[in-house]
Amino acid sequence: MTANKTSTLHIKELLSGVSEHGSRHLNEVETDLVQTNILLQEAIDKLSASFMAIHEAVSAQQQTVQALAAQCKAPAELVSALQSQAEQVGLHVNAAVTGLQFQDMTNQLISRTMRRIGGLREVLSDVGADSGGIPAEMDHAALAARLERIRDAMHAKSSALESELWKAVCQTHMESGDIELF
Amino acid sequence: MAKTILAVDDSGSLRQMVVFSLRAAGYQVTEAVDGQDGLDKAQTQAFDLVLTDQNMPRMDGLALIRALRGLPAYQKTPILMLTTESSDEMKAKGRAAGANGWLVKPFDPQRLTEVVRKVIG
Repeated sequence: MTANKTSTLHIKELLSGVSEHGSRHLNEVETDLVQTNILLQEAIDKLSASFMAIHEAVSAQQQTVQALAAQCKAPAELVSALQSQAEQVGLHVNAAVTGLQFQDMTNQLISRTMRRIGGLREVLSDVGADSGGIPAEMDHAALAARLERIRDAMHAKSSALESELWKAVCQTHMESGDIELF
Repeated sequence: MAKTILAVDDSGSLRQMVVFSLRAAGYQVTEAVDGQDGLDKAQTQAFDLVLTDQNMPRMDGLALIRALRGLPAYQKTPILMLTTESSDEMKAKGRAAGANGWLVKPFDPQRLTEVVRKVIG
């Protein structure tokens, strides 16, 4: 086997290895993200249902207590304490509603990551397919030209992927966002 | 009679929070799962205000606003964007499309209600 043939084979193996291993790991990442999304969806469904049920129960309880307080002519300090507790509950309800919006944002971020994984897998698959087409007997100049084409194709696909994936979620915390009226 | 609001968002959990907040404030809220669904519902019923997300399948928020502004019944109806998008570029596009305001997610129910009250009473 000539030195030239040996190095061509090494390059082919390297490129197909990058493609194969990269794709395998991307599949694992994708599987984990799908599972994460399922868990987050189930979590938000349960949290929302519990939140609604608790809110309904607390509202009913507040009404009952207020009615009792009115009926029994409760002292002013007790009425004031009840009012203050109701306000506290209201503040926590607002905070919970703000916090419960996490799933909308995490879902968008995960979807974006999934699209990027799909795009990257395509890039790697193309690299694998292109490298498979390299003949064992190839002179240096032809090999260099082929590798350059593979690199350019990879670069083009990668750039296209970047431009398709507009980052719509830049939030890094769950405080309420800005409001602007035009 | 309660003022009517069309809430358009592809996230079910987000819609649930919007509906919860606005119904508690006395508004009647109808949900739409994306821009196209929002447009269909807006054509069958007149709403006092439209609150829409931006990034949705089938039809996004900007396309929905443009489509609504093309309908005689919605030329002056207040439309607010409620979205994770916060860039000046996107806000400018929203304004040009005909949005009356821009709210960045996540929203605080009290602040949302205050804005809605300010816009439609």
